[in-house]
Amino acid sequence: MKLLKNETENELTIEMILHAKRYSLTLDKTRCTGCGICMEICPREAIEIKKTPKVDGEKAKPPTIDISEEKCHYCGMCAPICPFGALEVRINGEYIIPVINSESFPQLIREIEVDTTKCDLDCVDCEQACPLSLIKVSVRTPNGKEVTHIASRPDKENLKVVVDIEENFCPCCRLCEVKCPEGTIHVEKIFHGSLRINREKCPEGCTDCLDVCPISGALYLSDDGKVYVNELYCVYCGVCKIVCPEEGALELHRTYIRHTPIHSGAWNKALEKLTSTKVMTKELQTKSLTKTQESLKKRFLWRRKF
Amino acid sequence: MSLEPRIGVFVCHCGLNIAGVIDVKELTEYAHTLPNVLVAIDNRYTCADPGQEEIKKAIEEHKLNRVIVAACSPRMHEPTFRRCIAEAGLNPYLFEMANIREFSSWCHPSTPKEATEKAKEIVKMAVAKARLLQSLETMEVPVTNKALILGGGIAGISAALDLADMGFKVYLVEKTESIGGHMAQLDKTFPTLDCSICIEGPKMVDVSRHPNIEIISYADLLSVEGFVGNFKVKIRKNPRYVIDENCTGCGECRDVCPIEFPNKWDMNMGVRKAISVPFDQAVPLVYTINMDYCIECYKCVDACGARQAINFDQKPGEVELEVGTILVATGFDIYTPYDDSRYGYGRYDNVITALEFERLILAAGPTGGKVVRASDGKKPKTVAFIQCVGSRDVNKYEYCSGFCCMYALKNSILLREKYHEDVETYILYMDMRTHFKGYEEFYRRAREQGINFIRGRVSQINENPKTKNLLIRAEDTMLGEPIELEAELVVLCTAAIPSKGTDEMSRILNVTRGTDGFFMESHPKLKPLDTPADGIFLAGACQGPKDIPYSVSQGSGAAARAATILSQPTWKIEPIIAVVDSNKCRNTKAKCGICVKACPYGAPMAPEEKPAEINPAMCHGCGTCVAECPSGAITQMHFTDAQIFAQIRAALEKNPGDKILGFLCNWCSYAGADLAGTSRFEYPPTLRAIRVMCSGRVDRDFILEALRLGAGMVLVAACHLPYDCHYISGNVKMKARMEALTKMFEKLGLSPERFRVEYVSAAEGVKFADLIREMTEQMETLGKEKIKAENEKLRPTLERMLSKKK
Ligand SMILES: Cc1cc2nc3c(=O)[nH]c(=O)nc-3n(C[C@H](O)[C@H](O)[C@H](O)COP(=O)(O)OP(=O)(O)OC[C@H]3O[C@@H](n4cnc5c(N)ncnc54)[C@H](O)[C@@H]3O)c2cc1C
Ligand code: SF4
Ligand code: SF4
Ligand code: SF4
Ligand code: SF4
Repeated sequence: MKLLKNETENELTIEMILHAKRYSLTLDKTRCTGCGICMEICPREAIEIKKTPKVDGEKAKPPTIDISEEKCHYCGMCAPICPFGALEVRINGEYIIPVINSESFPQLIREIEVDTTKCDLDCVDCEQACPLSLIKVSVRTPNGKEVTHIASRPDKENLKVVVDIEENFCPCCRLCEVKCPEGTIHVEKIFHGSLRINREKCPEGCTDCLDVCPISGALYLSDDGKVYVNELYCVYCGVCKIVCPEEGALELHRTYIRHTPIHSGAWNKALEKLTSTKVMTKELQTKSLTKTQESLKKRFLWRRKF
Repeated sequence: MSLEPRIGVFVCHCGLNIAGVIDVKELTEYAHTLPNVLVAIDNRYTCADPGQEEIKKAIEEHKLNRVIVAACSPRMHEPTFRRCIAEAGLNPYLFEMANIREFSSWCHPSTPKEATEKAKEIVKMAVAKARLLQSLETMEVPVTNKALILGGGIAGISAALDLADMGFKVYLVEKTESIGGHMAQLDKTFPTLDCSICIEGPKMVDVSRHPNIEIISYADLLSVEGFVGNFKVKIRKNPRYVIDENCTGCGECRDVCPIEFPNKWDMNMGVRKAISVPFDQAVPLVYTINMDYCIECYKCVDACGARQAINFDQKPGEVELEVGTILVATGFDIYTPYDDSRYGYGRYDNVITALEFERLILAAGPTGGKVVRASDGKKPKTVAFIQCVGSRDVNKYEYCSGFCCMYALKNSILLREKYHEDVETYILYMDMRTHFKGYEEFYRRAREQGINFIRGRVSQINENPKTKNLLIRAEDTMLGEPIELEAELVVLCTAAIPSKGTDEMSRILNVTRGTDGFFMESHPKLKPLDTPADGIFLAGACQGPKDIPYSVSQGSGAAARAATILSQPTWKIEPIIAVVDSNKCRNTKAKCGICVKACPYGAPMAPEEKPAEINPAMCHGCGTCVAECPSGAITQMHFTDAQIFAQIRAALEKNPGDKILGFLCNWCSYAGADLAGTSRFEYPPTLRAIRVMCSGRVDRDFILEALRLGAGMVLVAACHLPYDCHYISGNVKMKARMEALTKMFEKLGLSPERFRVEYVSAAEGVKFADLIREMTEQMETLGKEKIKAENEKLRPTLERMLSKKK
C-alpha cells in the first residue's frame, strides 16, 4: 500500500495505491476559496484549514486547505458538498463517488433556469457579472454555429443567444440573475442563512472579510469605512468568518441546504455540523411527516432521540 | 510435631558397593552414638523388600519418628523410602537420606579410612537435619475441567478439536475477527499442494459447530489469576457493532456500504467494506463494522432490516472464565523489512513479501489470482525469491525461520504450473533446508521443473526507475564471484517473528520468552509443550517457527498434556514450598516486594502495606525468595534455615580447616557429583556437601556461617548460565548475590580461591571430580596456618554480620 501526496501550484492530489485498486482525491486550488465546508463534514478529520498570514499593508488572503493522505479514506463526501466544485474523487481513474452511488450522501441542488428567448443579442451582462467567470454567452445560428459579428448579420431574427453556465462550480450567488436586465435568469440559492456583522466589534480599518470574499458585492465598504453585508448575493460559504480577526464580529448561520432527497445518518451529521442541531432535527421532522419516523424509531434502537 | 525426635539410622552395604570400602559396622556403631538416634541397623540391601521390612519393623518397635537411610543418592531412592515409611504410618517428609555411596565409597575407593570418616560425617549431617524435620502435607487442589486456548490458528484449532472430542469444554479465544490464522491466508500448502483454506475451512467449521467449543473472537486477554486447575481469566470482547446471534452472514449490508478500506487479511493489497468479514470463509461468520472508517450513514441498518443485527451502541464486553488449563497458540508474525535498505521494501513497487505473494497467486485474492506487478499491473517475466531475509542474520534474527525454503519452492512450482515457460523463476538461498517427510522429494520436483537456484546472500537491490525492474546484486558462493540478476518481481521470504502482543501475553501468563522472543518451553527436549507455569502449555509457531504438520502435531500434543490435568478431579501439589511469616515480613511497614521480583514463577504477591503471600500452587520450591528476603521472613519447607545451619555446623564441627563445604543444586551439580561417583572418578575426601533444590536457595548467611566456623573452602555449584536452571533463573539470582559477597571478601582479605561459585551440569562428572581435586590442592597450598589466620581475622566481622540478622 502506498500513500502519496503531490502538490503543484494549481492542484493538490493525494493517492492511495493498493495492488488491486487505486484511489485519488484532487483539489483544484484555483476554485477552492478556503471556506472549509469540506473540513467540517470530513468524517476522518483529514482536511485542515491553513490561514494565510497577513502581511502589513497588503490585503488579506483567503486560507488554503491541506488534505492528509494518511487520514483520508476516499469516501468522497467532500466532493459533492463543496459549493465551488473544487474537489474530485477518482477510483481506478474513474470519477466515482461511492457515497453518492449508495445514497449515503446527497448532491447539492443548483437550480439555475435561463430563458434565453428574452435575451438581447448584444448583452453579456451576466457573463460580466459572474464573480467566478463561469458564464459564457454566445450567439448562434439555428444550426448552432457561433456568430461573432452580429451587427453585420442580415438574419438577426434567426439568431439565438446561448448562455453556458459551468453549473458544477457555481455556488449560486444570484449575481447574474440580479444583473440581468431582462429577467432571463433565475437562480435558487444552495445555502440559506444569515450573515451579520457586529460592526462595533470590527477593528478600525479592517476589511479582511471583504478582501477574501469570493462573491463581489456580497460585502461592501460603506462611506463610514465599515464593511456591510448584502445578503442578496452571499452564498454563506463562511470564508469571511475564518479570516475575521475579531471573535464575534461576524455571525454566520446556515438555516437550510438545498440537496437531493436523502435518508442517511452521515448526512444528518454533516447537516448538523454545517447548520445546527435545530436545523437538522427540523429536516428530519419534515421527512418523518410520512411514516418513516415510525420505522426509524423501530430500527434505530440506539438513537431514541429521534 | 513437638515430640522428641526418635531417629532410626539404617546403613546399607549395597552389596560391596558401600561395604567394600566403608567399614559399615564402625559407621553403624557411630550412628548409634549420635543424639536422638535410638536404633542403628545395617543391612545388605536396604532398598530390597527385607530391608524395607526391617525399617517398618523398627519404626513400630522403637516408636521411631524420623528415619535416615545411609546408602545411595536421594536422587535414586528417596521416593522409595518415603513410600516405605508412609506405609509404616510416618509422614513421608520425616525421612532423610545420607548419600554415602556416590559421595563416599564410590569416589574414595583407595582411602577406606577417610571414606569411613567422611561417611560418618555425612550421617551426622543427616541426623542434624533429621532432628529438625517437620511433617508436610501434600496439597490437593480441585480441577476445573475446562480449557482455554489462546489463538485460533491451525495449532489452536487442532488442540480445541481434540480436547472437545475428549469431552472437555473449550474456550477458543481469538484476537482477530476470524479463526484460521496464517493458514487461512495461504494459497496452496507444501509438499502436497492442496488448497490451504479447502483443508482448513472444514476444520474451522467443525470448531464452530462443536457443542463443547465456544469461540470468543475479536477478543483480548486481559488478565489471568490463579494456578493449575484453577485459573480465573478475564477477556474483553471488542464491539463488532453487529449482534452475533442475529447476524446471518448474508452480506447484504456489505453490498450497500459505500466505504472501503485496505484489508489487512489481504496484506493491504485489496480492500474490504466498512462492514464486512475479512474473508468469505470467516468463522464465526459475523460481520464487523470498522468504526475507524464507518461514516454512519446507516445504509447497512436498512439493508439488514428485520434481522436487526446491527447495533451502533455496542460496548466492549468483559467475559470471566474459570478454566483448569491454558494452551497458548498465538502463532507468529512476519518481519516486514522496512528497516533494511538493502531490499528496498516499501520503496520499490515490485518488491513484496512472501505472504503478499500468497495473496496474489490465490484465486480468491485481491487480483483474482493474477500475479501482477504493483507498478504497471503486468505479469512479471522473471521472479526472484530471496531467502533468509532477516533470518539467520546475527544482526537481525539469528534463528532459521524453518518454513521459508519450503514455501519458496512451493511458490516457484505454483508459478511454473500457472504460467509455464512464461515466467523464469530464481531462488537465491543460503542453504536449502528440506528435511521432514516428502520435503526433499519436493525440492527435487522444483529442480526438475527448471527453477534456477543461486546460492548466495543478496547484498543490494536497486530499482530501474524507468522499467521498475529490479537489479539484484549478490555473491554466488558456489562460483565465488559477485553476480547481478535483473528481475521484474522480487519476493522476500522474510523471517517469522513472535506475534504482536507476545510480550504482554508473557507478562499476563508469567511464561518466559527465549532470547528470540518466542515463548520458552519448560525443557527443549523432554517438555517441549510445557511451560514453567504448571497447567499452561504451548502449541504451534508461538514457541518458534513451525510449519503446518508440526503445528498440528503440537496442537494435539498440547491437548493431551492438558488432558492429563483436566481428566483428574484434583491435582497434587508438592509441599516443598516457600511460606511467608506475616509477622516478620517488612512489606507491612515499607514497600519491599523483593520476593515478588526474585520468584521466577510469580508466586509471591506483596500488596501495599500488607505482608507478602506466596501462592502454594504456583510456588515450585526453588527457595530463591527465601535467600533474597531481607527480613528472613520466608521459610522453605524441608530446606529451612535451621536445618541447613544444623548441617553446616555438623559438617564443620571437627577439623573445619581441612574441609570444603559445598552447596550443590539438586538438578545439575548434585547430579554431576552423583555422576562422578557412579563413574568412579576418584577425588580427595575433603568435600562435605549440602543439597539444596536450587542454587538460588543458598543464603549469604550460609557462606558466612561456614567461614565463621572455619571452613577451609566454600563452594556453591549451580546449573550453567543462562538457561540450564531447573527453576528458570535461580542461578542468575544466586550469581548476583555471590558476586557482591566475593567483593566483600576481597576487601576483608580472604584468599579468593577459598570461596568459589562454579557451574556443573548433570553430565559433568569429570568436571566435578577435577574441581574438588583442584580446590583440595589449593587448600593444601594455602596451608592450615594461613587459613586459620585468615579465619581469625575474619571472625569478628562475620560474627557481627550474622548476629545482626538474628
Ligand atoms: C508465506 C508463508 C507461506 C507458508 N506456507 C506454508 C505451507 O505451504 N505449508 C506449511 O506447512 N506451512 C506453511 N507456512 C507456515 C504456516 O503458516 C504455519 O505453520 C502456521 O500458520 C502456524 O500455525 P499457528 O496456529 O501456530 O500460528 P498462526 O497461524 O500464526 O495462528 C495464530 C493465531 O493466534 C491469533 N493470536 C495471535 N495473538 C493472539 C492473542 N494475543 N490473543 C488471541 N489470539 C491471538 C492470531 O490472530 C492467529 O489467528 C507458511 C508461512 C508463510 C509466512
Ligand atoms: S474524501 Fe472523505 S475522508 Fe477524504 S477528505 Fe474528502 S471527506 Fe474527508
Ligand atoms: S460574504 Fe458570503 S459569499 Fe462572501 S465569503 Fe462570506 S459567506 Fe462567503
Ligand atoms: S453505516 Fe457505516 S458500515 Fe453501515 S453502510 Fe454506512 S459506512 Fe457502511
Ligand atoms: S522463589 Fe522459588 S521458593 Fe520462592 S515462591 Fe518462587 S518458586 Fe517458591
